[in-house]
Order: sequence, then C-alpha cells, then structure tokens
Amino acid sequence: MGTTRRDVLKLTTVSAALAISGCAHASPRAAGGGPATSALARAGVIPKRRFGRADASVSAIGIGGSHLGDAPNENEAIRIVHEAIDAGINFFDNAWEYHDGKSEEILGRALAGKRQGVFLMTKVCTHGRDRTVAMNQLEESLRRLKTDHLDLWQVHECIYDNDPELHFASGGVIEALEQAKKQGKVRHVGFTGHKDPNIHLAMLAHGFPFDSVQMPLNCFDASFRSFEENVVPVAVKSGMAVIGMKSMGGAGQAIQAGVVTPEEALRYAMSVPGVTVTVSGVDSLDILRQNLAVARGFVPMTSEELTALRTRVATPALDGHFELYKTTKHFDAKVGREQHGYPSLDELPL
Amino acid sequence: MDTIPQRELGKTGAKVSAIGMGGHHLGDPKSYDECERIVHEAIDAGVTFFDNCWEYHNGRSEDWAGRAIASSGKRKNLFLMTKVCTHGRQATMALQMLDESLRRMRTDYLDLWQIHGVSFDNDPELAMAKGGVIEALDQAKRAGKVRFVGFTGHKDPSIHLKMIALGYPFDTVQMPLNCYDATWRSFEQRVVPEANKRGMAVLGMKPMTGKAGPVEKGDVTAAEMLRYAMSLPVATTISGINTLEHLHQNLEVARGFQRMSADEMRALRDRCRPKAADGRYELYKVSLQFDNPQARLAHGFPLDAKNIEVKEALENMTNLSPPRP
Repeated sequence: MGTTRRDVLKLTTVSAALAISGCAHASPRAAGGGPATSALARAGVIPKRRFGRADASVSAIGIGGSHLGDAPNENEAIRIVHEAIDAGINFFDNAWEYHDGKSEEILGRALAGKRQGVFLMTKVCTHGRDRTVAMNQLEESLRRLKTDHLDLWQVHECIYDNDPELHFASGGVIEALEQAKKQGKVRHVGFTGHKDPNIHLAMLAHGFPFDSVQMPLNCFDASFRSFEENVVPVAVKSGMAVIGMKSMGGAGQAIQAGVVTPEEALRYAMSVPGVTVTVSGVDSLDILRQNLAVARGFVPMTSEELTALRTRVATPALDGHFELYKTTKHFDAKVGREQHGYPSLDELPL
Repeated sequence: MDTIPQRELGKTGAKVSAIGMGGHHLGDPKSYDECERIVHEAIDAGVTFFDNCWEYHNGRSEDWAGRAIASSGKRKNLFLMTKVCTHGRQATMALQMLDESLRRMRTDYLDLWQIHGVSFDNDPELAMAKGGVIEALDQAKRAGKVRFVGFTGHKDPSIHLKMIALGYPFDTVQMPLNCYDATWRSFEQRVVPEANKRGMAVLGMKPMTGKAGPVEKGDVTAAEMLRYAMSLPVATTISGINTLEHLHQNLEVARGFQRMSADEMRALRDRCRPKAADGRYELYKVSLQFDNPQARLAHGFPLDAKNIEVKEALENMTNLSPPRP
C-alpha cells in the first residue's frame, strides 16, 4: 500500500525520510532512564519495553509490515528483517491485507529459523464481517507466516464510525479474538486505526480486555484530533500496550516541507509518554540503518523537549494537512472501502 | 400550474424561492447555450435563488450563469449569490475576487456573498483574524457591492458551530442537509437549530449527497431526497442541475411544495440510518473530493486529477511540447 499511496501523491522523493517516521517508542517507565537504562544507552542497545500488562517485552522500535512489500526485491526485504533482528529489534508488524498477502509471505520466509524470540503481530481484516471470516484469515496468516501462533493479533483499521458497533456485534470479530486466544493460536489481542480518537474511545468503551491499541503518534497529532491526548491515557490506565505508528505523519509532507527532521519526528514519537513500541515502515536497508541510528541507546526526550517541538509545529498541524490519514481517504485500504461501500483508491484518491 | 413557494431569508426581509440553482452544475454543460436554456427555464418557472462561487470551473460557472441571467433581463427579480475563496487568506484577496465575480456575473451588486468552504478546523480563526476575510465582508457591504453575507461548508458541524460562535452577524449559513446527514455527523441536528435561533437563514445544499450515490444504488429516489431536504426549516435548498431533464424533475417537486409530515421524515431517516452510519454517501464529510483546489492549496493539502477544476486547468495549459533533446 505504501507504494500505491506514494505513487498517487507523487511523494516518492521523500520516501526515505518517510520511512524513518514510523518507528518509535518511549515508555515513561524506561523514559526516566535509571542507572540500568543509562548503561544500556551508553552501550547502544535498543531498549526493550514491557508489553502492557502482558508477560512479554518488545523492542522500542518495530518493523512495519506493509513496507516490506515495497522493498526493491524480496532478497532485500529478507535482509532488512535479518539485520533488524541482529540489531535487537523483535517487534514485527503485518496485516492479512498488506500487498494482498505478499507482506506476510515475505516475513514468513524471512523468519524461517528465527521465529524464536520474535514478537510477531499481524492484523485481521474483517472490516465489519463475521468471526468465520476472521478465523479463516487467521489460518491463512499463520500459513503465510509459517508459524503456529501469533504473539499479537489485532483488528485492523478501525476507522469508520460504525466499526466498533460492527466488531462487537454478536458473531463479530471480537468473538474470533477470544476463540483464537482459547485455541492458543494467538497470545495477545488488540486493535488499530488511524482516523479519529473518538473511534478508538468507542472501541475501548466496550470494556473488552484488549492487550494493545495501535494508533498514529507524532508531533503533529499532539495538536490535532489527538490520539496522544485522548487515547493514550485511557489505554495506559487499563494496562494496555500502546503501539505508535506514522511517526512522520504518514506521507512525510512535513519532512519535505522542512518543518521537522526525520530524526526529530522519530525521537518525538518514541518519547511520547506511555508508548510501548513505535512501528516504522522500512523498505530499504538504508532506512533501517537510519532508524537504528536513532533507536540504539535511545534516551527519550524530556517533557520540556517534547513541549518545545509540539509548540513549534502546532500552527501548521492545526488543519491536518500533515496527517492525511485523519483528513483524507488516502490511507484507507481496499478491503475496508469495499466492506463499507466506498469508492476505490483510484476513484477516490484523497 | 402551482407556483414555487417563496420563503423568508432569515431576518433580512428578502424572500427567495424554496429551491435554488446550484452554480457548479451550471458550468457542466457542453455549451453555454445549454446552460442558458436551463437558467431561462428555471427563471420562467419562478426560481429566484442562484448560487455560484468564484472558483467553480475556474470561473466558467460565474461567467455562464452571469451571461444567462443578463440575457434574461430579469436580474433585478433574482437573488444572486456567489462565494469568496480566500480559504484562510487575506481580505485584500477577497475584494479582488469580489470584483472579478461581479464582472463575470455582469452585475454591480450581489444579493449574497458567502465565505466558501469553511472546511478545515482552523478556518474560523483564520477568517476572523486581523486582515482576514471577515473584514472584506464588512467593506463590501459598506461599498454597496453586497447586500447580505454568510458562510458555507460541508465538512463538520463543529466547524460551523465554531464559526457561528465567533459572534459575527452572518445573514446566512449554508450546509449539507439530506436524509443521510440527518443521523450522522449531523448538520441538521447540530447547526440548523443554532442558526435559526440567531435569525440566520439556513441554506441547504447537497440534498442528494452531492453525487446522488444513494439514488444510483436504488436506496432512495431523487424525489424523496429532495422533498426531505426541502421539508427542513430552511430558506432554500440548493440543488445542482446540469440538464433540462433534472430541472424538470426538480420543478415537479418544487411546484406547490408541501412539507413532509414529521412521521414521513422520521421513517425516511430510519430507512437511511444503517448506510448513513459510515459516511459512504457523504464523501464531502470524509474525503477531499469536494474540497476545491483553492482550499487545498491554501492549506497545503495535495491536489488530485479527479477534481474537475484541476482536470480543466491541466487541459487548458498551453506550451506543453516536450523539451529539446
């Protein structure tokens, strides 16, 4: 999807800068930087965070699944995964619908013999359909990823106002989450979305014990329909892991416009109080290495630094043109559009 | 034959036809002659409210509508509106746009001049800022170039409410009103009462959700949708018409129009509710499809070639030969 989006937006020139954007994490716990943290930081280790209330820990930065399908070739995609693991990244994102399955297949091949120690996530794409659809997708995901269990299975792209109602309806995808957990096929469950904090809050209001919640977290979000302000505190209070994404604002216009540097944007996202892991799209070894340069020995920004950056970009953030996933249809994927009766990306690019 | 009802325009003292002609669609026909036939027949049928906008079809809509209205010889009997497209930019730009609109529309005054497309969260504060478009509204009124002023937008009721809360005495407020809006991010529920309470005339638009999607899918009929929109407490319902056939359909509903009963309206709302709930038919609320290039450029949003103004601007470019080898 990344490729298609960029093709439409003609933003390929900033793709490198963009790719950095996704990864970040800064948990307030680790953020404090006790003596142990400082030692790790000095040693250039990528910090690990506890995954919410779960008995698991994940690297502060994760590898986005969609972009693996955007790499120049499968060989490079596999090298990205291997080098990431060697560097201490253990969090791998994916989704049943990314590149019509290619992203999961690539990751599955890359993880052959390396599954142990990896925290593997993928997402289920019912977009309102019933639990049978979900369970079939799970089997397909497991097959493609060449594994018998997922560490995390999330409901993908809760972005339409009626998604919470459809997901929680009798026979809906939430029942599939419970079933898959009981069967031992998934250890943890959560949901994702990039549109509106209110939709996330409506999901959370059902009181279901999600283990994680994924959302856009970046220095622009802080001033506009903010997930950081509205959703993170609720998730943290319930002991859920917070997965950040879109650290550069999704398509990187702000980087292109020179409003922030990729490093600043990534550091902000990784420093948001409460964030567990920041998922970053990586479609080349170059981008991976840029991310690693930030993530190794990462020490979160202080609250003064966070406030300063937020304030600096607040004015251009106010109309949402640096967060097109909130204000346009551009980031809304095919299957969800079909299920909700929306025009295709070609017909409705923005 | 029954006449088209005339309604009070808020507390302005003016009266307008219960149905109005959308300006964008008047730039759609293949030729000016077709546009003129539509305009003249609408005037003869008793339509007095004519909508337009500085940026529609990059000026062609104002030009054609203005020419057709001038050739009808009935300018004085009509209620002419156009919109200004600063989208957060300054009052001086607004006044230049006004003069251009007057020239194209072949008139020396507008009955109504509205701020176009208040669609982005920071538009209200930009409009109100020193040197912003609100100052241009005042100046234009003082200069006698416009009688009344208002604003329009299709994105989010909260933005309209913010605009109203600024306290400026707008004469009119324009918004999407239809049987899908009725239950989802609803201008009908949230903005109409606030505007009416202040004596601002409510102008409805997009009675068929802008692209008539639900009609094409067979979920409702065009007549049902138009009747619903016209039954709300609005001064007029602006409907886009680019063929005589559509004009005739609208006139059939508008002549001798009687509002739907509360029960009828509730039944239609309930029928539409399931598909209203994800915004599939109200793309103006959830996408940039209805946001014109001027709005996007002013706010730094990307353009796309699906937009008619962008498409036409590209088609009209000259000197497109390739570079020398």
